[in-house]
Amino acid sequence: MKVYQPAKRFVPPPPALRMSTGRVRFMLAAMGLLFAGLIGRAIYLQVAQQDFLVNQGDARFRRSLVLEANRGLITDRNGEPLAISTPVQTIWASPADMEPVPPAKLRELARLLEMSPEEVDSKLSDHKREFVYLKRQISPELATQVMALGIPGIAKQQEFRRFYPAGDIFAHIIGFTGVDGKGQEGAELAREKMLAGSNGRRVVVKDRRGHIIEDVGPVEPPRDGQTLMLAVDQRIQYLASRELKSAVESNKAKAGSVVVLDAHSGELLALANYPTYNPNNRQGVTTEMMRNRAVIDTFEPGSTMKPLSISVALEEGKANVHTVLDTHPYMIGPARIHDVTDSDRLDIEGIIKKSSNVGASKLALMVSPHDFWSYYDSLGFGRSPDTGFPGEASGRLRDWKTWRPIEQATMSFGYGVSVSLLQMARAYTIFTNHGEMMPVSLYRTGSPLPGKRVLPANVADEMRDVLIANSEPGGGAVGGRILGYSIGGKSGTARKLVGNSYVADKHRALFIGFAPGKAPKMIVAVMIDEPTAGKYYGGAVAAPVFANVAGGALRILNVQPDQPYNNTLLPATTPIPADF
Amino acid sequence: MTTASMKGAYAATTILDEALAWAIALLLSISLVMVYSASVAYAEADAATQNKYFYLIRHVIFMVIGLAGGYVAFQIPTAFWQKYAGKIFLIGVVLLVLVLIPGIGRVVNGSRRWISLFVINLQPSELMKMATVLYAADYTVRKSHKLHSLKEGFLPMFIAMVVVAFLLLREPDFGALMVVMTIAMGILFLGGINMRIFSGLAVMALVAIVLLIISSPYRLKRVLGFMDPWDDPFGKGYQLSHSLIAIGRGEWFGVGLGASVEKLFYLPEAHTDFILAVIAEEFGFFGICVLIAIYAWIVRRAFHIGVESRKLERYYQALVAQGIGIWLGIQAFFNMGVNMGLLPTKGLTLPLMSFGGSAMLFNLMSMALLLRVDYENRRIMRGYKG
Repeated sequence: MKVYQPAKRFVPPPPALRMSTGRVRFMLAAMGLLFAGLIGRAIYLQVAQQDFLVNQGDARFRRSLVLEANRGLITDRNGEPLAISTPVQTIWASPADMEPVPPAKLRELARLLEMSPEEVDSKLSDHKREFVYLKRQISPELATQVMALGIPGIAKQQEFRRFYPAGDIFAHIIGFTGVDGKGQEGAELAREKMLAGSNGRRVVVKDRRGHIIEDVGPVEPPRDGQTLMLAVDQRIQYLASRELKSAVESNKAKAGSVVVLDAHSGELLALANYPTYNPNNRQGVTTEMMRNRAVIDTFEPGSTMKPLSISVALEEGKANVHTVLDTHPYMIGPARIHDVTDSDRLDIEGIIKKSSNVGASKLALMVSPHDFWSYYDSLGFGRSPDTGFPGEASGRLRDWKTWRPIEQATMSFGYGVSVSLLQMARAYTIFTNHGEMMPVSLYRTGSPLPGKRVLPANVADEMRDVLIANSEPGGGAVGGRILGYSIGGKSGTARKLVGNSYVADKHRALFIGFAPGKAPKMIVAVMIDEPTAGKYYGGAVAAPVFANVAGGALRILNVQPDQPYNNTLLPATTPIPADF
Repeated sequence: MTTASMKGAYAATTILDEALAWAIALLLSISLVMVYSASVAYAEADAATQNKYFYLIRHVIFMVIGLAGGYVAFQIPTAFWQKYAGKIFLIGVVLLVLVLIPGIGRVVNGSRRWISLFVINLQPSELMKMATVLYAADYTVRKSHKLHSLKEGFLPMFIAMVVVAFLLLREPDFGALMVVMTIAMGILFLGGINMRIFSGLAVMALVAIVLLIISSPYRLKRVLGFMDPWDDPFGKGYQLSHSLIAIGRGEWFGVGLGASVEKLFYLPEAHTDFILAVIAEEFGFFGICVLIAIYAWIVRRAFHIGVESRKLERYYQALVAQGIGIWLGIQAFFNMGVNMGLLPTKGLTLPLMSFGGSAMLFNLMSMALLLRVDYENRRIMRGYKG
């Protein structure tokens, strides 16, 4: 039986044109496979290579920017700014992201940066580098002009430049910062951590032309440095610097230093050295100018040591202020101890007034070497004064076990022991604080730091009065007298050691004193190194500096005068005694 | 009434294959957004343009021209294209010769591919792609009874293709050559060419491609650059490494529209040949899949229209429709393959997506042709005579 067959769905083509369904399906399947391959590749890229690709991208787009912290202000005790950070701009380039700069623009860029076009071109020549400084620390206005050129790959960055409004006046106290903004000297170095703060960080995505597109993650803001308040008083510092400079110049001296301490708190009110330098422009500055002599130079203090050494004999009960000594020259072994002008007999006041080496050494030899050594040790000689000044000197105090009697004798009048001017000034705080020695503070202290008892109060006060008497006619400190105020002090003229022997033509003129006499507000220590203009005695060269600095400072601080205004009028014939 | 009959009634009364038209419209919409997104930074920063809409405005103009061209193409019966296929092919060859003449052809990036026509730059290789579809389909139908013969069926087409290949390589435009060859081979294959001849041809083509690559340092460099872009990421591998970084950064769902970093002067040709990388960065793997899906769907649709035509014994139209499908599919594949580091860099646009006037015009005209074939099919099914 014949079965009905439905008509075929497919209409047969002309005999020769075979457009088979199979080929169409094959072709479609082939295209489908290609697309599937693309999707497979896309999946592979995401699964196997995503991290790598994202990292490669980050390496190209992501940049970590440093947000520079503003360095802390340094002020004097009254808040007057002494070191300020001003914002400046640094121009840098990323040659790797740059296309060749048109010559006209290059010339303009070079003109703005005050460089030659060749110099700029050579800086941009290494196309592998991503960071090249073009010019550091230019004014924000100039930086804006540079950026207005619109050269891709050139960017600016904010930095800070340190500015010292007082110039060379505070150079040795404050020091300076280097081009990297870090402290190099003085308080800038001593308190680097506090002043620097901490830089912030910002991770950004940049386009190829250097524009910031977005922040990645939170911006880590910079923590600005803290304000550092120094103990110094700008006005006193100016005064001390000016007086020192004029004294060094008029005495044709090599150098000089002045230290002013608060008599009670030990705070450093002023510290000046000459020669000095301008920290704002250190071109041509020598190490001589940069030496903070008052802190890092040590020397034999000569007669200024006598009030200290005599005190120990009084403390030990070997003598009292009324003790009278035979002060004829005498021999210790082969050495003859004598004074500039010999006296027959002197009491303690007389020994100070005449600056008697005989008296001072005899008193010193009453004390055992160990007790004498531990007394000098407690005055901080041979120990770092711990003020925080970079490079501060400890000085030299030899072990008492090696002492011979002659050495203990010379140490009593300031030879054979080396100290810094700062140490000497600090030691004198025992006379202004009833026997307590105060720590020297470079920084303003809220409440005074505790002192250290070195002498009983009565002995210290007696010696203070002896030093006041020394400023009266017949004493060695008359040159330090101040209009309207009483003072106490001791001058010194130390011969300098050249090689192994003391020479007669090289001196250090010294004066350390306090004012007003009975209620001291400050200690002023002055050292003039190698005065060559004729006078070289401490009482003649250093004492006037003391008088001018202490007098001016007392008036600046509005201290009530304790003397009539004619107190400095002295008989013209009164000679200034020699004190060696 | 069943849904099937409703659909039938609907299909019979509509002029356009609406689904296909919407797919094209979708691609064009994505293209507008992405060309703007990819070009805005370049356009804004470039001193010569100084207008962030510079490329977008031109892209819109190209699209309008393309749509106008498409509209015209849609009005023309397919019989016209069949009748003039040979002449159109000839015009294409002539233009390919003209573009090689200095003074007429403009050189961009080392290739002489453009003829300046005042307002618009014509890229003859784009015309050639369409001409090949029209000509190869006509040839196959004309020579259908000789397609088993090497000499009569195969040789004339082979010679024509060698001429075109020679001219395209002079520009050079290796990418266009690959597309043209694939179209021609595909149409011959679908038209029923003898399998032995086809296999031999395929092997020969493969050998020729390998020889061409080895013979030219320019092409060899490109091929090697694609093999390992990380070997020299700042030199030969620069473009591809940045394209891959863009795709990697896009992860699965992208960094979001407008947020691409690569388009900010890192990735060259971001709005033309490498627009996929920007799309991948902003829309991720998901974005790539959507694009592939749309292209794959249009290719399937073109083949389907081809099958419909064949059923109606409209063999020329069938081959044209499928040829257009091959064209769109293979060029999309090549372009995306290049972007993903699967294929060496060729200089091919992503059809209906990349910025580019000639490509947009001929792609839209080919889509109109596809719609026209479908339109005629429907009319015949409804009883009209073509």
